[in-house]
Amino acid sequence: MNQTSAQADLESAMLRALRLADPALSRFDPMRRIISHDDFSRGHCGWSQLVGNYEDTLDTMLPGYAQHTSAMLSTLGHWDAGSHGGIDSSYALKIATRPRPGAQNVAIKRLTMRERCPIRFEAYVTFKPEATELRLSETDVRSFGFLFDLQGGDGDGPIDRVMPHMRFLNAMGGSHVQKWQFKSKSTDFKAIGDSNKTASHYHLAPDDWQDLPGGEQRLCYNEIATKVNWSYIRFDFDLRAMQALSFRCNDREFDVSAFEPIRIPAMKNLWCMLNFCLFAETDAAKRAFLYVDSVCVSGDF
Amino acid sequence: MLAESTTAILARNEDWTGTAATEPYEAGWAREAVIFVRALKEPTGPQPRAIVEMSPDGMHWLPEGTALALPETEGGIAMARISHFGNWLRLRADFATGSGATVLVTLHLKS
Repeated sequence: MNQTSAQADLESAMLRALRLADPALSRFDPMRRIISHDDFSRGHCGWSQLVGNYEDTLDTMLPGYAQHTSAMLSTLGHWDAGSHGGIDSSYALKIATRPRPGAQNVAIKRLTMRERCPIRFEAYVTFKPEATELRLSETDVRSFGFLFDLQGGDGDGPIDRVMPHMRFLNAMGGSHVQKWQFKSKSTDFKAIGDSNKTASHYHLAPDDWQDLPGGEQRLCYNEIATKVNWSYIRFDFDLRAMQALSFRCNDREFDVSAFEPIRIPAMKNLWCMLNFCLFAETDAAKRAFLYVDSVCVSGDF
Repeated sequence: MLAESTTAILARNEDWTGTAATEPYEAGWAREAVIFVRALKEPTGPQPRAIVEMSPDGMHWLPEGTALALPETEGGIAMARISHFGNWLRLRADFATGSGATVLVTLHLKS
């Protein structure tokens, strides 16, 4: 049923009022349809480990994926101050790397899309290194970020698999960099096994990150390794044009006109794929933790 | 409300020799846990008993009291039930020189 303009205005006003009055949603600014809303006080909410492709033996998995482990539910328990907790529940999703420089870990939510329309990804996150030293350790986490893995439908004609990546490069080689970066190139695909059915590429390889113009930002890290503050991120992406629409972190709105996703030829088993990933990367021989208090994914349909 | 439950992969296709342990895992929401270990390849040498460890902070570890005999053959599987563990869990094994195993370690949690 087509809505009249007046009906649409009334719906928008009601949606806005209902969501503003709901403490769980009021801190988000979702588009018309909420696709998922995860607060991690109800389990892992569909965020699982990003496992690599393999065939016949797990030895065929690329090393970048082999290092990944399962995300966990955490109260952000610290040795000196006890549990920090989430924004309004005890739990957050925790993505932890292994303790070696450059180690990464990724959590993923796998969906498919109904409509080619703008979507919005919102999350409250924070990051810290493992508090193994009595020092600030503000340059021990290399980065945290998010990516989407997208592909249109089998009836869409010639299309690409599209993977927008964004990371906050906190530190590199001990230098406190603090800027947002995107990635438009991936590593080459490698065939997995010999059946010609599976291939793999490690798109989070450390190469080819580009600075988001104007993307320098200092986040609230706080004053010891066990004090954390939650930050808000919001990224809008158009599933029809397959282009970024906007990006915000806390009080800063960034220009995404130069943002380009990774684009690779469509793959034969990924039609209508709508995947969301969150990742952490350590710069030191110390675990890096990305904590996710909550995530809201919405779409304009 | 259904009880919460999840399966976490603590180690997948990892070659264990010397002193080996899974990455720390937080499971404070769960009342019970089961750890399974499957040998993905033919183990080499005598296989030790792996021990479950718990921790106050994910950094300092001590034995929880549960142990399991690691599988002696490829495809072999071992299991341990754990309860009253606080928050942090990991599995540790000390292999003698020349011994080793390639393991899949999974943790099954229920509230």
